Amino acid sequence: MKKIFSIILSVFMILGLASCGSEDKQDSQKGFEPRLDKSTACKISIVGTYSNFEALEAEFDRFNQYYPNVELSYTKIDDYNSSIATVLSGNSAPNIFFSFSWMTGNSAYDSVFAKMEDLADSSLGLDLDCIRQGLLNRDSQGRVLTVPIFSTSYGMLINNDLFEKEGLKVPGTLQELYDVCAAFKEKGYASPLMGYSTDSSGCLMNTIAYPLFAANLAEHPETVTLANKCDPAAGEYMRPALETLSQLISKGCINLEECNKIGDNYTEVILRFFEGDVPMMICTGDTVSGTGKRESQSEAFTAHPFNYTFAPVPTTEKGGYFLDSPSVQFSVNNSCKDLDMTNEFMRFLISKAELNQMASVKRLITPSNDLSFDKVYAPIGGVSSDLTISPTALGIEDTLAVQIRLASYKVGTGAMTIDEAVAKYGTLK
Amino acid sequence: MKRPGIILINVLIMVAIIAFVSVYIVSNDGRTKQRQTEHFENTTVTMERITENYLEGEQHICDVWAHYINSREMTMDEAAAFIRISHVLPDASAHLIWLDSRKGVSTRPHLGTDSDFAVSYAKMDFMSDTSWISEIGKSTNISRAYTNPMNGEQSLAFCNKIKLYDPDDRTAKEAVLLRVLPVSELEQKWIIPRERFENAELTLIDSEGNYIIKSKSFKNSNFLEFYKSYNSSNPSTIDSLHDDMTSGTGSFTIYNSKEEKMLLAYTPVLETSGWILLGLIPESDMNVNTENWLLIGVISAGLLLLFVIDLLFIRSFNKKLRIAAAEADSANKAKTDFLSAMSHDIRTPMNAIIGLTSIAQKNIGDDEATRESLRKIGLAGNHLLTLINDILDISKVESGKLNLSPVTFSIVETVENLVNLSQPMVKEKNIDFNFRVGHMEKEYLYADQLRLNQIYINILSNAVKYTEPGGSVSVDMYEEESPVPGCVRLTYRVSDTGIGMTEEFMERMFQPFSRQTDSRVNSIQGTGLGLAITRKMVDLMNGTIDCKSEDGKGTTFTVVIDIPVSDKSRDDIRLDPADILVVDDDEVLLRTAEDTLGSLGVSTDTAGSGAEAIDKILGRRQEGRNYDLVIIDWKMPEMNGVETVRRIRSDIDEKIPILLISAYDVSEIEDEAKKAGANGFVSKPLFRSTLYDKINQLLGKEVSSAETEDDHSDLDGIHILVAEDNDINWEIIHATLAMYGMTSDRAENGRICVDMMKNAAKGKYTLIFMDVQMPEMNGLDATRAIRRMEDPWASSIPIIAMTADAFSENVTECLNAGMNGHIAKPFDVKLVIKEIRKIKERRS
Repeated sequence: MKKIFSIILSVFMILGLASCGSEDKQDSQKGFEPRLDKSTACKISIVGTYSNFEALEAEFDRFNQYYPNVELSYTKIDDYNSSIATVLSGNSAPNIFFSFSWMTGNSAYDSVFAKMEDLADSSLGLDLDCIRQGLLNRDSQGRVLTVPIFSTSYGMLINNDLFEKEGLKVPGTLQELYDVCAAFKEKGYASPLMGYSTDSSGCLMNTIAYPLFAANLAEHPETVTLANKCDPAAGEYMRPALETLSQLISKGCINLEECNKIGDNYTEVILRFFEGDVPMMICTGDTVSGTGKRESQSEAFTAHPFNYTFAPVPTTEKGGYFLDSPSVQFSVNNSCKDLDMTNEFMRFLISKAELNQMASVKRLITPSNDLSFDKVYAPIGGVSSDLTISPTALGIEDTLAVQIRLASYKVGTGAMTIDEAVAKYGTLK
Repeated sequence: MKRPGIILINVLIMVAIIAFVSVYIVSNDGRTKQRQTEHFENTTVTMERITENYLEGEQHICDVWAHYINSREMTMDEAAAFIRISHVLPDASAHLIWLDSRKGVSTRPHLGTDSDFAVSYAKMDFMSDTSWISEIGKSTNISRAYTNPMNGEQSLAFCNKIKLYDPDDRTAKEAVLLRVLPVSELEQKWIIPRERFENAELTLIDSEGNYIIKSKSFKNSNFLEFYKSYNSSNPSTIDSLHDDMTSGTGSFTIYNSKEEKMLLAYTPVLETSGWILLGLIPESDMNVNTENWLLIGVISAGLLLLFVIDLLFIRSFNKKLRIAAAEADSANKAKTDFLSAMSHDIRTPMNAIIGLTSIAQKNIGDDEATRESLRKIGLAGNHLLTLINDILDISKVESGKLNLSPVTFSIVETVENLVNLSQPMVKEKNIDFNFRVGHMEKEYLYADQLRLNQIYINILSNAVKYTEPGGSVSVDMYEEESPVPGCVRLTYRVSDTGIGMTEEFMERMFQPFSRQTDSRVNSIQGTGLGLAITRKMVDLMNGTIDCKSEDGKGTTFTVVIDIPVSDKSRDDIRLDPADILVVDDDEVLLRTAEDTLGSLGVSTDTAGSGAEAIDKILGRRQEGRNYDLVIIDWKMPEMNGVETVRRIRSDIDEKIPILLISAYDVSEIEDEAKKAGANGFVSKPLFRSTLYDKINQLLGKEVSSAETEDDHSDLDGIHILVAEDNDINWEIIHATLAMYGMTSDRAENGRICVDMMKNAAKGKYTLIFMDVQMPEMNGLDATRAIRRMEDPWASSIPIIAMTADAFSENVTECLNAGMNGHIAKPFDVKLVIKEIRKIKERRS
């Protein structure tokens, strides 16, 4: 009889534990409180430039836990920059679409901006405070038409194990960077600093120079307008950045011959870094986003995995500048179907937890004000506020970014002297 | 087998049944799932046919246009104009682009404009290399899904290379004709049978896994990427997967982004460049017989319930077995105790009999000592007989075989018998005994007389036994109206001033072998069965027995039984008118006697003492009216009955008939009373019939002295046939009869008895004493044979059973066989003589 009671009690215990487990699951879903009828059935489409957007598709599944009948889809739009205006006007206009900082001020996108909903509208209930305010672009009316989903920055991937192996300390200042590079060179490393260098787009030169230039402009904000307008007078503000770049190359920290072997600024940069013999790989946060998925694709890394992080390049004696830029931003089509559910999805998505979750999957820098969750980006979280520069807040426009990119590439490759580059600011092509 | 073993076997059987059902269901589900899977694959193939037909149809239109354009040497604008005329579908458009610049015109204007027909495919990767576009009519040249630059819709393009001519110099240039259709057009063609595959999805991918049409469960931009993201894989498995999917139709299981198991069916889309149609459905949808698991649950619960019930039942059964075993042990112990008690109780009188017999043999010359020994042997023998009778009775009671054998009997005789039986002990213990009969109208009743006697005797003998010398025992019997039709309610109450009973003993006094543990009781012989038998018999007669007792003060037993009244009646008995004086100090008796005598038609006067009686007789004499009869109680204070008789005879009248009332054996006072002048004796209680007989005897005949019971001269010359197989028994009965002046012949068995009767001269035998159990022919058969004889004397000869079969049913059996009476062995000589006299009187 005791055995029978034991069996019955065990069954009840198991059921009890199972119910406790389900309770825990319920608890884990707390934080987002649905406002609409959970049985609502509709379709929400999101369009953008990414071929793959697994991080967002994972959010679809999470959102479906609250609204199981809402069908969400992501579609890549061909020739996005040219097509988005047409797409927004078409029969299959999306509910949410990618928007970029460079669109701001470009009249070609006026119709696009006209379609954007004001996400700062308090009735929508979006938690914009969870986003680093430097990333939020408010227009003259105080509206927020674009919300950063990811942010990016300029810096370098650091092979921490290699530093440890060689008995060296990760540099925190420019001098330390020189010293470390010298030490690595002595140890036979051809190019302690590497990066993509065969094209101006995404080249290592810009990755080094742009933050320095932006920092200089930040110290002279009155020149930002000139720089945006490609006024040659603003060229002089590029000089310190270009000089630092030249010195890094001239001191042998960067061996361009080695760098030129890297075929593209994304996959090959990552795979080269995973070879394990590059102490520091200069790249943007966008490139870092590809590291997670490619760890398994790299035979070298699979064979000899190592610890790596991403940090600003220490280009000053105070350290490196963390250029905190929006990467992908979402805008809501204010005339789309099922706008209520679209805003509900945005309300769900714009939270520290979901943004961090997406950034974690995508391995991009989260736009939320909590950078500590991802160990790769952890060093960025330690950058002091005086070294953090927000191009959005500063008002930097795409034209300015293009000029420093071209100037740094040309100076870095020796195609142009620093003086020439400074003089030709605004006309560089 | 021990309980754990039984439980283990039960559990194993349960597990085996559940396992069998589970395996069967799983196997059945597996087959069903396989059929479902095949059906889903077939559905996917059907969708592929539809897709293929659609694609080929659209390609064919494009081919026709291309043929026409090529045959007419058209410029781009002319070709566009031609196509605009040919357009039927509202959502369809055509783009004509130069192969070199990948720019051209659209047949429909840019969205939001009326006149902007310019279109550019410069940034469309699939147009950078057009080698995939075959010759017109050779195959289906279809692009991947892309964003239509003219309207922003995801579209497919059916392509053909054509030649267009420069409007100025009419030189031919290579161009591409794209028949552009929204992807939704194709999606609308896919109609999956929803009733069977409600959650099914279709997706179209190209040879590289890129989605052409993507349903909601497919993630990423490429199916292979999607597979890698949510399923464990390595490069070789992906290659293998790709090869399988592009080479044939099939299905496999994958996990989706929600980690749900899905069935993916694939089939190549023919005539295209390695396109594959994918059908996706939750694998759970393939399991159509989920109810079967409910069946398993029900079976499991049922088996568990049965198991628990069985367990409880076995437990309960074991408990009952344990109780039964305990009861059996207890019964066994009771049996042992019983045998031990019986052994003791039987050995005690047997010891007395054997011992006293030895003493008598040694003192054969000493008459006084021998007589005393024989007296004690008789007492011991009687006790032994009582014990055996009780044992037999209780065994019959316990086994439920005790049946009642009702006969018509006289309650008067019953009471007389009761009084007679109790007299010796009453006298011996010098107990004040009173037997009062109240209102008794019905003399003849119909019941089991033997058992009724047993009840009354048991209670009365207990009262006498447990009353100290000098105490009193009173019996009250009266008749009441019964609620049972045809019955009278007979109440029998015996009160004594004996030792009484403790409350504790009263609770178990009706249990067999219960005797009160008391030093006063230990010296009293008893079996401890009497009350148990009495109680059972009262119950059998649907009566009640009630007891009130106080330890040390006395006990009162009351038995109330509803007894049917017999048809036989002596209600017509009436005496000649007479004047009778009844003398007794007992008011109750006086009233009873007055009533009874009044009902007999005589006038009654009463006197409460001897002196009052003398005064009344004197008073009458002075008035010149003598009493016809005086009835005087023997036991009276101051002047007892004998003294009163003596005074009447000496002082008043020597002739007046006087009856002396006694509740005791008259033998003690017989001589003295006769000397004093009593004419007869009448026993208490004073029944109507008894009084009638006695008064008639005295007043109807000449007054004579009372008969002596020692006069057996009336029995002289009686010749009796005794059928008895046992030599000793024969010797005893033969000698006993001889003691009373009777002679007897022996028949050794029933057959001889019958033969002797056949051969006997008429009137040779006065009666037959017939043993029952005899060899060759038993007494019952012999009786029947005799009753069947032709000779009227032989066939009607009185036959009295004389047998050790002493139960009432044996008596009934004997009477039914034709016998006239029953005497149980060992026989009471008085009963034998009484029975003989009855027969003699009847015969005369």
